[in-house]
Amino acid sequence: MATTSSESDSSRKNTDNKENESKDEQNNMFECNICLDNAKDAVVSVCGHLFCWPCLHQWLETRSSRQVCPVCKAVISKDKVIPIYGRGNTKQEDPRNKVPPRPAGQRTEPDANTGFPGFNFGDGGFHLSFGIGAFPFGFLTSFNFSDRPHGVPVGGQLQQDDHYLSKLFLWIAVIFIVWLLLA
Amino acid sequence: MAGKTPSEKRLHKELISLVKEPPPGMIVDADQAEQNLNTWTINMQGAEGTLYDGELFQLQFKFGSSYPFESPEVTFVGQNIPVHPHVYSNGHICLSILTDDWSPALSVQSVCLSIISMLSSCKEKKRPPDNSFYVKTCNKNPKKTKWWYHDDKV
Repeated sequence: MATTSSESDSSRKNTDNKENESKDEQNNMFECNICLDNAKDAVVSVCGHLFCWPCLHQWLETRSSRQVCPVCKAVISKDKVIPIYGRGNTKQEDPRNKVPPRPAGQRTEPDANTGFPGFNFGDGGFHLSFGIGAFPFGFLTSFNFSDRPHGVPVGGQLQQDDHYLSKLFLWIAVIFIVWLLLA
Repeated sequence: MAGKTPSEKRLHKELISLVKEPPPGMIVDADQAEQNLNTWTINMQGAEGTLYDGELFQLQFKFGSSYPFESPEVTFVGQNIPVHPHVYSNGHICLSILTDDWSPALSVQSVCLSIISMLSSCKEKKRPPDNSFYVKTCNKNPKKTKWWYHDDKV
């Protein structure tokens, strides 16, 4: 292993030379706390610890449920690290954009109306309801194709439940009509 | 060697600094480590004025390819396994930084220091209460054990 010996040789030479050592110490200040190399695409956490963005990103992915600073265990997140731009670096690109960005979280806005969904005529969506006038079961068959009030992606589970319910009510209505016709 | 992985690069840096400035009472077997960067043996002396004063121990570090994002596998090996409430007779160590509380900012040096301070603060030399059961049933890799960290006194 040629590099091994040459590297340890050079480190020995450094100890002999005081000037080099102090230079070394200065360089140490800008070493990434994870790879121990000079920080590349440097970012700093709000708690003040320096990392290469690729290193920190990998750590955040490794423990995505508990994202803490490797040095001081303060809570950190991708959005709260600060990229560092030195002089002479012409491309001042945010290093956080280089690594594939984390997929955005999805959240569902709570429903604005608290009443029964079948009575929901208020928010300008498209409704299709049918029923036989005299019967109070008409509302059961109303379909709700309205958009959500704020255009927020809807949780898949909720949508599925709605779908299932309207199908169920449709069948109840059909059976009821057939029974009426036969009776 | 042009194609050194980040993990090898970091291990190399750690080895150089451990050889250059070893913590008191610790000597890394540098030749062995240079031959195989993934397994290191560290000779450790019990600290002066503690229950382990004058004793010699051997610590083995095994590094996976995702080091330092994953913790190393650290066990006591050799003839003399310290008798300590957190050290099993097969060399496994119950220490939170070796699993749940691992951080990539920790190093071989800081793990060694933690272990030596764990030994030094011991008041009474004894094995863990579940030693014989654990040693019979555990996996060879201590990282496979679901450790239950409950005692932070020693």
